[in-house]
Amino acid sequence: MDNFMQHFALIELSFTCAVLMIWLIQKMMPFQLPVVARIIFAILFANLFFWPLGFSMALPLSAYVRGLTGDLSVVTSLLLWTSVLLNPKPIPLGFKWAMIVIAIAFYPFALGVGMMDPYAWGYGSIALLIAVLIFAIACGVANWTRAVWILAIAIIAWSVHWHESTNLWDYVLDPFLAIWALWAALYAIGQKRKEKARSGYLFRAG
Amino acid sequence: MSRLIAFCFLLLAAVLGFLHIDSRPIWAPFSEPSQEISQASESEEGQAPAPALIADPVTKADKAAKVTKIASPIASSISTPQPKFDWLPSTEAPSVHAASLVTLKDGSVRAFWFAGSREGAPDVVINSAVFDPKTASWSDPTVVIDRMGMEIGLSRYIAKLGNPVPARLADGRLQLFVVTVSMGGWAGSSISSMISDDEGKSWGRPQRLITSPLINLSTLVKSPALTFADGRLGLPAYHEWIGRFGELIRVEGSSAIDKRRMSSGRDSIQPAIFIDDAQKASAFFRQTRASSQAKKIPVSITTNAGQSWQVADDLDIANPNSAIAALSLKNGTRIMVLNNIEAGRHRLVMVMNRSGSSEWTVVQVLEDDEALPNEQRREFSYPFLLSADGGDAHLVYTWDRKKIRHIYFPAAWLKQTQSELDKQSLVDSEGAR
Repeated sequence: MDNFMQHFALIELSFTCAVLMIWLIQKMMPFQLPVVARIIFAILFANLFFWPLGFSMALPLSAYVRGLTGDLSVVTSLLLWTSVLLNPKPIPLGFKWAMIVIAIAFYPFALGVGMMDPYAWGYGSIALLIAVLIFAIACGVANWTRAVWILAIAIIAWSVHWHESTNLWDYVLDPFLAIWALWAALYAIGQKRKEKARSGYLFRAG
Repeated sequence: MSRLIAFCFLLLAAVLGFLHIDSRPIWAPFSEPSQEISQASESEEGQAPAPALIADPVTKADKAAKVTKIASPIASSISTPQPKFDWLPSTEAPSVHAASLVTLKDGSVRAFWFAGSREGAPDVVINSAVFDPKTASWSDPTVVIDRMGMEIGLSRYIAKLGNPVPARLADGRLQLFVVTVSMGGWAGSSISSMISDDEGKSWGRPQRLITSPLINLSTLVKSPALTFADGRLGLPAYHEWIGRFGELIRVEGSSAIDKRRMSSGRDSIQPAIFIDDAQKASAFFRQTRASSQAKKIPVSITTNAGQSWQVADDLDIANPNSAIAALSLKNGTRIMVLNNIEAGRHRLVMVMNRSGSSEWTVVQVLEDDEALPNEQRREFSYPFLLSADGGDAHLVYTWDRKKIRHIYFPAAWLKQTQSELDKQSLVDSEGAR
């Protein structure tokens, strides 16, 4: 099982790297690739990251990435995969703000401020599990069904010990998700301001 | 409709999640060391004359620590077995560090240490050798694992290897915890572990312990693991990046299944734990404080088997930001090996706890370059203590980063020393009246 765990982790990360490549390609292209093409390309690129390429590298490319990033949370991976490969509804701004607030409240204490360690709750706290479930229900009520699926998969992955971690936090949150949420929320604010400025110019009294 | 299906799936996840939590082991009491009633103050018939106690002399550090000092028992006791000094076998590596020990089933002792061109170099490997107490000699050193072996086992890039710490699992197998770094300095460390079914001759695939939410960065290990009553291990670990603090990690197999913070902030790492009973324990730390703060040993205590820890008053012994080693013997004697100076690591001593008191006394000066000019002083650091039979003590420590020193303290010597210490306490207390 442990060997499989290592292989699955590398497959997951290889696919994530491939999806990031697709995202970059999409950014540079003037048109959107069809969903099927994106998925096929992602699988092809994932092979590039999964198999050892030789040269002076003893490990596959994804293992070098894994050395730097560790295993990404299930929520991060699935959000990225679905956002890039499918054509889903955009991620609500409320979710991004929620991630920012949780990260700001969580990381300082988890990294050594005071004697309270919220990270330790992730090993077996029913309260944390209930909080994640309530968050998922709130996303569903707000009509963002994708989050319900993703959080449900994350909880199942944690309960079957899919990754090396036995901590629920590692399945639902990671620093990359928090940084992305912060960047996306700030970007959204910037866009809104721009739009406001433009509309103000158009309707300003002459 | 799709939302309904999603909620049904969430319900399934919730059920699995609750079942998973329900299957988690509850926190267990400490496994108590089987203790004999301390007879330390009673001199046994036929024993050698006691080592003479002398008044506290010289060093500033000793005065600060309010300790007394025993003249070397080596010189004063003739028939009591004396400590034996030797070296761990050389691997020809220019730099060696962080030795640790574990008792094997046949009574011999296996040592682990890391060696390479320099600390943190990619060529650093984890070495091991076995000490045979019958012949009092070390086997040839072997390589347990190198950086490439760790990389392949963990399926990720590894830049360097660090501290190895062995432990005995409840099922009799050996487990070796090793610090590994993928990026940056030691602050970027994680802990990995391997299990051996043949007393350390061969090792299984390494596996990563996940202990930190920030890319699992900055968890290290130095001190020996303790055992809980349910057979699981408690690994005293520490962080040294954003925070510098200790943690007790509960380990099951090769996974961290819970952990508790032992200190906070940026001032204490490398906890060494003394267990008092099934619920109570105290941890002594290496201090990492700012230069303006006290250079003493930080202490934390628990009264609920490590589920929560409270920071207590510092132990009044100087600490120059260097590791300490702690050991409880079967008869209740407690010893520590440490650098009892405020700066540098050029003096290493053994201190012993007086029976029934919180006072510590220097009983043996192991190394002392105090008299040498600064530039000639050598480093004596990273002590690790082990008792093979519950009464004796093996000590290993880094000797100027070039060699690993091994000292064996026979049970009779330790008992004699404790006895003298308690006699002196009695004299002191009567004098005070």
